[in-house]
Amino acid sequence: MRFCPFAKRTLLVLRAKGIRHEVININLKNKPEWFFKKNPLGLVPVLETSLGQLICESAITCEYLDEAYPGKKLWPEDPYEKACQKMVFESFSKMPSLMISFLRTQNKEDCSGLKEELHKEFSKLEEVLTNKKTTFFGGSSLSMIDYLIWPWFEWLEALELNEYVDHTPNLKLWMASMRKDPTVSSLLTDVKTFQGFFNLYMQNSPEACDYGL
Amino acid sequence: MTDDATRTLGKGSIPPGPVPEGVIRLYSMRFCPYAHRTRLVLRAKGIRHEVININLRNKPEWYFTKHPFGQIPVLENSKCQLIYESVIACEYLDDAYPGRKLYPYDPYERARQKMLLELFYKVPHLTKECLVALRCGRDCADLKLALRQEFCNLEEILGYQNTVFFGGDCISMIDYLFWPWFERLDVYGIADCVNHTPTLRLWIAAMKQDPTVCSLLTDKNTFLGFLNLYFQNNPAAFDYGLSC
Repeated sequence: MRFCPFAKRTLLVLRAKGIRHEVININLKNKPEWFFKKNPLGLVPVLETSLGQLICESAITCEYLDEAYPGKKLWPEDPYEKACQKMVFESFSKMPSLMISFLRTQNKEDCSGLKEELHKEFSKLEEVLTNKKTTFFGGSSLSMIDYLIWPWFEWLEALELNEYVDHTPNLKLWMASMRKDPTVSSLLTDVKTFQGFFNLYMQNSPEACDYGL
Repeated sequence: MTDDATRTLGKGSIPPGPVPEGVIRLYSMRFCPYAHRTRLVLRAKGIRHEVININLRNKPEWYFTKHPFGQIPVLENSKCQLIYESVIACEYLDDAYPGRKLYPYDPYERARQKMLLELFYKVPHLTKECLVALRCGRDCADLKLALRQEFCNLEEILGYQNTVFFGGDCISMIDYLFWPWFERLDVYGIADCVNHTPTLRLWIAAMKQDPTVCSLLTDKNTFLGFLNLYFQNNPAAFDYGLSC
């Protein structure tokens, strides 16, 4: 689904590794019955190979692609460096649900509690960048961890949360560097389209997932 | 006697020195299921290691330099590199050390094991909740029902695969990652949760025959001794069963 941040991870990896692929978008507000054969939970993303193998869970799909396909490795070769990226990924785990909560409480009750939590999460990530003294989370060039966390940062502008990275200068710089990456920029969704999708999605409209087409 | 039969270090203890070359250190606790995963992998791969047990109710101040929240397990090598989160630690060991690979080589089979791990995610929390409820004299019928449902899901997988172990006909990483909670079912008082899952019971029996699993089995009375003291909030719990 074009606006799903989890699926965006997989798209980024497919694109970054130059893997030939086709995309079937699923209407998440009106799921086809057959899709539950691909994933009993009916969630995207799912990868399906020509052997009929199905891989679910975005992080697992990304790792599978990195291992199964040749070319540029997105996970580091060094076991410790790879473990470090996975530890950063673990510490990112609260962000997706925080952002969804943000989406849901917009224009409703006070979300200062959420803002406080978001601030904490950003500070954690800022600390990683400050300690590493590198532009990206894996070092001086972009790697798997950057692609795994990017999709939620793409949402910041659409959710009018850009000011939240004002206190985290390294994170702000990272966002700017990410936008310059050819893979990331080729998959950027513009703010207006995001907002159009959000509005319809929050109204449970079956048209949401096709917004902008 | 397992290689981690040493007294815990607590507040006021002297920080341990650097890890000698050729050895990897595990910060652990003898009864912790998450640390148990890492001990299984260290043993299965024959990795030279030393264990420092941490008193989790009375953590040494220096331990927070190893883990920001003082959790276990944590691996530390002679390059002062620290790795935490049990699953990440297990994968690191499999990647970094030679010999028998516990994760499959095939990317799809690896992905399958990782998807199976996702299926397991409710089990640790549910088993712990059952234990706490039983120890506090509360009813846990709902919790046990939920746990049985999770076990049914795992039963279905084994049935569909028609293999002894979760990764195939030989024991592999996913089996070691699941095992600690199944070893604890009896001592937690919830062994009846596998009454309706015969294939899972067969898996448990097969696991108990694995040399690695066997070598790290904790004696039931020792575990009960630990649990009794733990639920009395006694910091001596973690050293239960060690000779003075």
